[in-house]
Amino acid sequence: MDDFPILAATGLKAKVADEDLHILKGVDLTIGPGEIHAVMGPNGSGKSTLAKLVAGHPGYEATGGSLAFQGEDLLEMEPDERAQAGVFMAFQYPVEIPGVSIANFLRTALQARLENGEELDLFDFQEHLMERMELLDMKPSFAERPVNDGFSGGEKKRNEILQMAVLKPTLAVMDETDSGLDIDALKVVARGVNTLKAENPEMSVLLITHYQRILDHVRPDAVHVMFDGRIVETGGPEVALALEAEGYEEYRAAHAA
Amino acid sequence: MASNASADSVREAGVGDPGWLQARREEAWETYNATPMPSTRSEEWRYTDVARMLPLGELTPAFWDCSANGTPSELQEAMERGRAGFAGQVGLVDGSVVAVELDDEAADRGVVLKSLRQAARDGDEGVEALLATEAVPASDGKFPALNAALWSDGVFLRVPRGVVLERPVRLSRWNSQAGTATVTRVLLVAEEASRVSFVDEALSPDLEEGTALAATAVEIFARQGAQVQYVSLQQMGRGGFYLANQRTLAERDSTLDTLNVALGGAVGRVDLNARLLGPGANSDMLGLYFGDDDQHFDFNTSQDHVAPNAHSDLLYKGALDGNARGVFRGIIRVHKGAQGTDAYQTNRNLVLSDRAVATSLPNLEIGADDVRCSHGATVGQLDGEVLFYLMSRGLRREQAERLVVLGFLGEVLSRLPLGDVVQNVTRAIEAKLRHA
Repeated sequence: MDDFPILAATGLKAKVADEDLHILKGVDLTIGPGEIHAVMGPNGSGKSTLAKLVAGHPGYEATGGSLAFQGEDLLEMEPDERAQAGVFMAFQYPVEIPGVSIANFLRTALQARLENGEELDLFDFQEHLMERMELLDMKPSFAERPVNDGFSGGEKKRNEILQMAVLKPTLAVMDETDSGLDIDALKVVARGVNTLKAENPEMSVLLITHYQRILDHVRPDAVHVMFDGRIVETGGPEVALALEAEGYEEYRAAHAA
Repeated sequence: MASNASADSVREAGVGDPGWLQARREEAWETYNATPMPSTRSEEWRYTDVARMLPLGELTPAFWDCSANGTPSELQEAMERGRAGFAGQVGLVDGSVVAVELDDEAADRGVVLKSLRQAARDGDEGVEALLATEAVPASDGKFPALNAALWSDGVFLRVPRGVVLERPVRLSRWNSQAGTATVTRVLLVAEEASRVSFVDEALSPDLEEGTALAATAVEIFARQGAQVQYVSLQQMGRGGFYLANQRTLAERDSTLDTLNVALGGAVGRVDLNARLLGPGANSDMLGLYFGDDDQHFDFNTSQDHVAPNAHSDLLYKGALDGNARGVFRGIIRVHKGAQGTDAYQTNRNLVLSDRAVATSLPNLEIGADDVRCSHGATVGQLDGEVLFYLMSRGLRREQAERLVVLGFLGEVLSRLPLGDVVQNVTRAIEAKLRHA
């Protein structure tokens, strides 16, 4: 397994399920252990579709190429199997689940990772959860609230970070987690990612974003520009800065030509 | 039972009763005979074809010989569960009271808890005046008439003025045999400024070979400033047919809250009428049902705002799996002159299979102009985005579904301040989810 990259997309093509709407038109992307890769692109370029395809969203369907996690074919796995293998996606729009507390949700998620018949020790779980919340500077009462029910945008993102901290993924996919956040909330997200990264340097991150500003706080190893369903440029942080200054005009022109 | 029952069986049922009660039974029997069996042509029975579903003519009155058989072990276990958490309890087997326990402290303060039959014979205060007169009289319909004529026993609970019972009182009912019917009553009187919670559990073994009818009439009076909670937990085995007529009468400044939980049995039909009779009266009405296989639950509720400035708030939530059917029909009636009424009604259903059906019929009838009323009903399915969210954290599909259903139904329980009941119901829902 060590010989395989964490994530490898090769010629990946995908469309919207039940529709003839093709979004990814051949994506090549390789993320190694511990690397942070940012994927930027305008609306409709396919960057969020890539994230959802990694997590296994049923609304999207791969039509060509391959997508592997540590050498295993992700496209053959159910969303829960991917999660148990170590994939985590922080949602752009986390859903509300009335009546289910964050603690109960996370306890069930950890219980699901155990072998059949094995019972999660509730005391250990509580201790683990409290330790994780302390790491992220969160109040214990937060975990008693129903999942995202009536949360502000910032609270929802915090909740995503908390889940990530508890589940300790090998690959964290941040699907525009920074969208719609004010600068304070953005810093919370960035600090969360950095804290977890510092704790576990082997964790890889696929950071999907529309804006350069989060990259001031989370330093990427590589920045990819996505346009019309393909990765059209790859480089270092300077690529993001150039995008910020010049926008996507250059790519639009090239694409039109 | 009823079709081959006769005036003789009514006389038999009333042996040993005082004369006023025997007369009341006979009058009820006349009403029963004069009242047609509800048909699906009537609005209130449209979705429950009771004439077909309930083989009334084939049922015989249940009888439990306590001196020979003792108390069934399952009922004993039910009564032991959380025993210390109750101020008193009653065991009812096949329509006969087999055990009554009341804490000395409550008894010393004048609380009366006893067999209703015994209370009628003893001439306890309020029984003659209130039994099948104001709350669930025979004139209310076919089943109220059947009940008033043939009831075998039940519970009488009277809490004197100003007495506060911190712990609830529990009734545990047990129907032991298929092919039988039990007809019972509860009469609960909370005098001025008293406080009491009453938990009414209906249990039975799985009776696959036939129907066991548990028909009950529940009459609850909250006098001025009293606070009453009534909780019905229907957890009968398969084959159980639960038929309840509940009526709550809330006087000035009283609180009379109810919760109906339907998890077991083959059929459950509850007719609940909440009457708000005095200004400042308040009724929170909660309901929770979770059906699978061929289970059929039907709730027919009404909120009668007779007095001005009273408040009622109804929330019924149901989940339906397999071939289950859920029916909710509710009406808010604001009577003429009931200004300042605050009345709400919400019914939400979660349909978990293609074959399960939920029907929701909310209704309003407003005869005053200064009122705040709303009603709402939804029938929905599990949200794919929610399931994906949970699965993306590693939950298997069925675990994700369970969690969503528990959360959905849990909203009802979160409004109930009775910890033991909440735990008990949550466990029962979880067990049912595992079975599914």
